[in-house]
Amino acid sequence: MNYAAPLAHMRYLLNDVFEANKHWAEMPAFSSIDSSTVDAILDEGAKLCSEVIAPLNRSGDEEGAQINNGKVTTPKGFPAAYRTLAEGGWVGLNGNTTFGGQGLPKMLTVLFEEMLYSANNSFTLYVALTSGAALAINAHASEDLKNQYLPKMYSGEWTGAMCMTEAHAGSDLGIMKTRAEPQADGTYKISGTKIFITGGDHDLTENIIHLVLARLPDAPTGPKGISLFLVPKILVNADGSLGARNAVAASALEHKMGIKGSSTCVMNFDGAIGYMVGKQHQGLAAMFTMMNYERLSIGIQGIGCGEMSYQNAVHYAKDRLQGRAAHGAINPQGVADPIIHHADIRRMLLTQRAWNEASRAFAVYVGLQLDLANHHPDHDITVKAAQRVALLTPVAKAFFTDKGFDACVLGQQVLGGHGYIRDNGQEQLVRDARIAQIYEGTNGIQAQDLLKRKVLINDGRWMRDFILEMEQDTMNASPVFATEEDAVLKACSTLRELTLWLVKQDKRDADLCNSSACDYLHIVGHTIYAWLWLKMIAANPVDTDKHVLGRFYFGRLLPQIHALDAAVRSGPDLVMDLPVDKF
Amino acid sequence: MAVYHPPVRDIQFVRNELLDFPALYQTFPGCEGFDRDTLNAVLDELARFCAEELVPLYRIGDTEGCTWSADGVKTPTGFREAYARFVEGGWPALSAPEAIGGQGLPESMGILMNELIGGANWAWAMYPGLSHGAKHTLQAHGTPEQQQVYLTKLVSGQWSGTMCLTEAHCGSDLGLLKTRAEPQADGTYKITGTKIFISAGEHDLTDNIVHIVLARLPDAPSGTKGISLFIVPKFLPDAAGEKAARNALSCGSLEHKMGIHGNATCVMNFDGATGWLVGEPNHGLNCMFTFMNSARIGTAIQGIAHAERGFQGALPYAKDRLAMRSLSGKKNPDGVADPIIVHPDVRRLLLTAKAFAEGGRMLVHYLARELDIVQHGTDAAAREAADERLALLTPIAKAFITETGFEAANCGMQVFGGHGYIAENGMEQNVRDSRISTLYEGTTGIQALDLIGRKVLLNGGVNLNLFLDEIDAFCQENAAQNEFTAPLAELSQEWRKLTGELGEKAVANMDEAGAAAVDYLMYAGYITQAWLWARVAVLAASKGDADGGFYQAKIHTARFFFQRILPRTKAHLGSLRAGSAGLMAMPQELFIF
Repeated sequence: MNYAAPLAHMRYLLNDVFEANKHWAEMPAFSSIDSSTVDAILDEGAKLCSEVIAPLNRSGDEEGAQINNGKVTTPKGFPAAYRTLAEGGWVGLNGNTTFGGQGLPKMLTVLFEEMLYSANNSFTLYVALTSGAALAINAHASEDLKNQYLPKMYSGEWTGAMCMTEAHAGSDLGIMKTRAEPQADGTYKISGTKIFITGGDHDLTENIIHLVLARLPDAPTGPKGISLFLVPKILVNADGSLGARNAVAASALEHKMGIKGSSTCVMNFDGAIGYMVGKQHQGLAAMFTMMNYERLSIGIQGIGCGEMSYQNAVHYAKDRLQGRAAHGAINPQGVADPIIHHADIRRMLLTQRAWNEASRAFAVYVGLQLDLANHHPDHDITVKAAQRVALLTPVAKAFFTDKGFDACVLGQQVLGGHGYIRDNGQEQLVRDARIAQIYEGTNGIQAQDLLKRKVLINDGRWMRDFILEMEQDTMNASPVFATEEDAVLKACSTLRELTLWLVKQDKRDADLCNSSACDYLHIVGHTIYAWLWLKMIAANPVDTDKHVLGRFYFGRLLPQIHALDAAVRSGPDLVMDLPVDKF
Repeated sequence: MAVYHPPVRDIQFVRNELLDFPALYQTFPGCEGFDRDTLNAVLDELARFCAEELVPLYRIGDTEGCTWSADGVKTPTGFREAYARFVEGGWPALSAPEAIGGQGLPESMGILMNELIGGANWAWAMYPGLSHGAKHTLQAHGTPEQQQVYLTKLVSGQWSGTMCLTEAHCGSDLGLLKTRAEPQADGTYKITGTKIFISAGEHDLTDNIVHIVLARLPDAPSGTKGISLFIVPKFLPDAAGEKAARNALSCGSLEHKMGIHGNATCVMNFDGATGWLVGEPNHGLNCMFTFMNSARIGTAIQGIAHAERGFQGALPYAKDRLAMRSLSGKKNPDGVADPIIVHPDVRRLLLTAKAFAEGGRMLVHYLARELDIVQHGTDAAAREAADERLALLTPIAKAFITETGFEAANCGMQVFGGHGYIAENGMEQNVRDSRISTLYEGTTGIQALDLIGRKVLLNGGVNLNLFLDEIDAFCQENAAQNEFTAPLAELSQEWRKLTGELGEKAVANMDEAGAAAVDYLMYAGYITQAWLWARVAVLAASKGDADGGFYQAKIHTARFFFQRILPRTKAHLGSLRAGSAGLMAMPQELFIF
């Protein structure tokens, strides 16, 4: 279970497929980045993940996070590894440079995030939640709060946690109950219980900064009555030193299927002191600004798992001797041939690989759009990029994690019965990957967000713009790849026609949208992957194994689009007609 | 904690109405009295046993797991007591011949029982389930003495059995196995070697455990033709057939697994253990083939078990959990939100699980019926036809039902959102437990090679064509229900054509069959399910609103399957036609990049 970051493919994406340097040169924030910096970040990041973080993955799963007398401890080795990560400056990689962040482009840091997830999902969540909380603070908090909290979060001295879910309110945050009482000194007393709080308490750092959604006394009901508060575990004095313990504590840890090294806490706020972040009643909107980053990050969890599972599976498939190749012995001196020579084993490995590489390319593309939206000097470009981010983030989150989970299941299948055994690591990846389809908005919620809020709401205009971009890009590809070009254009027109059909039909039936959403999201994902596979093939006409992989994608995976298209077009009645009592 | 109720009504529907087992039993000598009422009574009694004894042990089996010590393996709290009551009730003997102490019912009744106990608690059900192989081996190949000593106790459940096949270096490829059997002067053999992944290899439920071990004689040819079967009991029987001296075998350790924690997966060490040859020397694998189909059906049942649990667990949650409003207007205006079952995407998950649970059940019981005909039928031609149908559809049932069972288990978990990931709710256990089913008893890939190679291409598609002829005839007879029969007839034609294409490609390149295998199997599985759902739709159409809308629900589910699930054949077809080139072209070294 050694992890080696897929650096060759990562560099290929940055340098050849997306020509990152050209984009960075146009953005003042990134214009000083040169290729030696990029190489150093990728190489050092890979080393850190392989040598420091990956070795804690299996033991972290077996040991799990523990709670004793209200004190949460992480698995052995986690605190030291977190310190190493923090000291290397890795926590603030994306952070605002004004407050000590490194301000690196997302297009690059998505690759490091993937390495982290491949190495150790549980460990990485502590980092990811800190980045997410810092992002929200940076976007919405007062200058005082930013000055007080951001530098220590970027430096890795403190971590962050996001406290949204309550026992009765998950997908539907509008019905949450946690209260915030205004105090004379301008602070608030926060009371309530939050569940499923990742990294809610732990022993990695001395302080934890919670961002808590709660209601003010006069708040309207529903999602428009929710405000956002910063609630530190330990109160921070004016001079930045730590003060008294705040009235917030973990009361229990959940017993979960996977990510066992990550503490999933029930958090009790008993009149804890909090500071409002952003405007009152606009907490959800404030959360949404960081949502795109968080969703992309959780999507990347799917890629990280898929990649690790692939590496384990390839290793096993080359070693394991079983049966003879169909066209004659490959290893005549041995008792049998390595199973990588069996076509069905290759089908599984190549499926994993084809998903992983296309997902990685898409993560880089979405990262680029986030960078353009935030940093490009040309207003038109930022507007267009922001649209792309809004449109594509739910696709990235759901498609990465669905395909990442599928990839992990296949990687487990390659090992046969040995894949079911904990020591071999493949079953842990299936368990760890499974949560990514659920949290940060279930994939059903992502699909609904895509179809309802990003597609139907503008009569499909954003989607049509994006399809046009893919088509134009495809038509610019070399004529050598005519078959693949044709396949991309066909997928684009399938998607365009289906989008138009949905826009038209939606007005007639309120249930169509939600009944189609998941399948529609998958069609969008497949179309994008076809486009990206063509890009990856075309970026290097002599790289023949990329061509083999691309052809595999077009021939063996893209056909799934036909099944999905037919399912969507069957309409909503098939899922709505059965009366509730007949289920 | 997710609820589970034995699905009695649906089993009655499949057994009594769709497949009419009572009528079939009337044609079997000795089974004439076993009518619909008797079948329903057995079903009710079993369901009660499952609900009272096995369902309550579902979570504890997972959390406690099995514990190893040098003295043996301890099963989770309550497993032993439940097993004792299972034996007291005479259940292990349900479908064994009367001559060896059984109740003489056809094997399909054993399959029905396994579905019920497996759905209630798969990890527990594996203990009696694993005796299947040992019983069948001895029944078909044992000497009268061996049958006298071992079989009667296995049938009563007093002793349990295992099949010791896998070794560390060989699983799918049993020809490589190394365990040795040395002949002794007294006619016994000394068995030496290490077996892994031995389910129920050691436990505290029974006094004795009868291992059937695959091993090589000293002069055995290499490969699969040099394997023999041996009975190797944990305790040697004395002259009276009662357990006596401890044999030289032991459980070295238990595997730490993803799921089925309540079942002991053992490393078994045989250190010159005493064994007796069963059947002809070097014909061990052939001996095992005699019950391969029923063993695989036994694992297919696991797919139904987890699909049913996924569905049943998710349903009350979907009705109770309030989140957001229905898109077509509030359904629960007095509450803070609507129950999530009003949301189409939640319904999609529920209906997918439901369709796979009920569809898998139909296929398993259909095969159980064919198995009965093979074993009890009075007409030779019918027996042969049933045997061939069984050979064709068993690999499909094993792989398709377990693959879709895993999908359905995941659907059920997804309905719960984050709560599905929490152990106490039982939905994630269902996913973990189900994951093994596509791996053991021949992986999905192995089943698919068996289907496309041995069952389809090797006999020129003759068996398949007979099956497709039957589907075509059904479609013609029921042309009035063309909503179902028209697309089914088209698919039947497409399946025939596709098989011809594959046959031609496979002649030219041996890798084509392997490259196509799993897509072909899944394609075949969806069409086979469509045939069964079409039969249900035809049957239900004649029943109107009877039974509180039970039949209407069947039609809705059939329609959902046809229009939302069945289009998956298009994806498999496209992938199949892409052929093997993309798979085999990449050199092995390039896989690491």
